[in-house]
Amino acid sequence: MEIVVCLKPVPDAETRARPLPDGTRFDPEGVKFVLAGYDESAVEQALLLKEAIPGSAVHAISLGARSRTDEVLRAAIALGCDSATAIEASPAAFEDPIAVAAGLRAAIEGLPHDLVLLGKQSGDEEEGLVPGALGELLGLPHFGFVVDLRWDATSQRLRFGRSTEAGEESWEAPLPCVIGLQQAWNDPRTAKLPAILKSRRAPIATVRAPTGPPEGPTSEPARFELPPPRTGAKMIEYRTPAEAATKLVRILSEEAKVFP
Amino acid sequence: MTPSVLVVGEPHGDGLAPVTAEAVGVAHVLAGADGPVAGLVGGAGSASAIRELGQFGVGRVLRIDDPGVEGASPGALARAVAAAASTVGARLVLLGGTTFGRDLAGRVAVAWNAAAVNGATDLRWDGEALLARRPVLGGRATETRRLLGGRYVVSTRPHAFPVPERPPVSPSVEAAPAGPVPPLLLGPKRLGVKAVPSGSGPALADAAIVVSGGRGVRAPENFRLVEELASALGAAVGASRAVTDAGWRPASLQVGQTGRTVAPQLYIAIGISGAIQHLVGMMSSRVIVAINNDPAASIFRVADYGIAGDLFEIVPALTAEVRRVRGT
Ligand SMILES: Cc1cc2nc3c(=O)[nH]c(=O)nc-3n(C[C@H](O)[C@H](O)[C@H](O)COP(=O)(O)OP(=O)(O)OC[C@H]3O[C@@H](n4cnc5c(N)ncnc54)[C@H](O)[C@@H]3O)c2cc1C
Repeated sequence: MEIVVCLKPVPDAETRARPLPDGTRFDPEGVKFVLAGYDESAVEQALLLKEAIPGSAVHAISLGARSRTDEVLRAAIALGCDSATAIEASPAAFEDPIAVAAGLRAAIEGLPHDLVLLGKQSGDEEEGLVPGALGELLGLPHFGFVVDLRWDATSQRLRFGRSTEAGEESWEAPLPCVIGLQQAWNDPRTAKLPAILKSRRAPIATVRAPTGPPEGPTSEPARFELPPPRTGAKMIEYRTPAEAATKLVRILSEEAKVFP
Repeated sequence: MTPSVLVVGEPHGDGLAPVTAEAVGVAHVLAGADGPVAGLVGGAGSASAIRELGQFGVGRVLRIDDPGVEGASPGALARAVAAAASTVGARLVLLGGTTFGRDLAGRVAVAWNAAAVNGATDLRWDGEALLARRPVLGGRATETRRLLGGRYVVSTRPHAFPVPERPPVSPSVEAAPAGPVPPLLLGPKRLGVKAVPSGSGPALADAAIVVSGGRGVRAPENFRLVEELASALGAAVGASRAVTDAGWRPASLQVGQTGRTVAPQLYIAIGISGAIQHLVGMMSSRVIVAINNDPAASIFRVADYGIAGDLFEIVPALTAEVRRVRGT
């Protein structure tokens, strides 16, 4: 199975987010971009499939500023991915998730791909638009918010679950297919030192995606705001647990109006 | 010209998911006082879905009659949504921001050549452009995006908008335009849906109240304290990674960076220390309550209300008080 795994450099969870002086967007200055935990999990998933199906290969691709993508791609190589491709473009072209999907397509079409895997992206900004957009651009079926992805050798199909309002759905899908994963349910492996050192010299292919602002409908950041700093909890004074409970329930219904 | 809006109905049981009603409310506001709002529903269960849309003031409903679309991949449905949007001359397609809606939005945007945003908590026109606000970076910040180009696909965050109060109407019903669906998109098959057993509470991602437990509960059997409070409140149950890693509860309950992101009206954290990886999954909740026996726990820095105390005493008292107030 030829697997393409799409990796996104995201701001480290510990990052202190702040807006640019003009207030339009997030200020990337001094922010550490890392391979997101959920992308580590997507790589792990890809490697598990590769190990289960003889003759498979995993191709890591990543889009964005070169300084950020190369870091993430080398981490993927160190974990065991077979090839790495960086997608270059002007930052403005990638402030829209549909444009991001178009950039990913540019690289995917140049690679063998039975399965395209994406990690969960909610810690960042796209909230699940990319897998569907990518599926439509590639003309392939897609599923986002997938859990428990497995390969069923007998039926030669993918098996997976999704939890929706309707309940826990189970699905099977033939290849080729685009899959967006919901969460890290696996325990991602950590890279070994020799592999990390070797990954420093690994070749990274380059694809240039369409530059300039996308034509037709698109979106751009207009304003980036930090919430007023939380001032800390109002602590409830009490003598007995019952008193604490009565006070909290009263606050929640009268002050916070969230209850009953 | 008043912009026409199409709302995609999300099936739920015999009718529609609550978030669809919220999206209809947004549609009325964005379409203007008497602007055209149309709804789209799928085949099975559509009679009550159509009635529900009418109750919220939707005057025109398109019904997808192709049984192949239901239970097929989101790809097949996205084509149907795009075709319906063109039929009603929509400028905006609204979906509820659940798994169903968010997964569909990106695909509809490409199929219908539109700009898209997921999980909006505030929407307004800015001339021809649409401004959409939503929490980003796991609730650590809010971003407003400007959507440009005259065609927009937006999913609305559950609980962010009120259910509309409108005079009920009896909608006109027509068949949604059926286009050819590429065979590749019909390959995937839904094998089954295990309905969330009633009484087990709402789904975590969409719940109005979430009660989460952490390592402080100490043992898997004690986790029922958390579950009983959730059940008294009609809330969904969540957990920290310490709990899911230990196998006390399934990974599907994990809230945080590598679990689910939730943004309920009320989040109650019980015996959870407040590690940053947990916080990014729940920080955009409207009201946060923490119960922890360590008054210096970081969770109290992000909580609105805190009880410093032993969860084994506080939680049962709270459950009893909630039951008393609710008369259950
Ligand atoms: C890459 C990465 C990703 C991660 N992703 C996630 C994630 O998605 N979600 C997540 O939750 N974590 C995640 N973590 C783990 C996170 O860092 C914390 O380890 C975890 O959240 C701790 O869980 P906890 O608060 O339940 O446990 P602890 O930190 O052990 O806290 C237990 C708390 O219970 C309190 N307590 C103990 N006894 C009582 C009592 N009797 N009454 C009241 N309070 C009591 C203690 O004071 C303490 O504050 C991640 C970590 C990493 C490195």
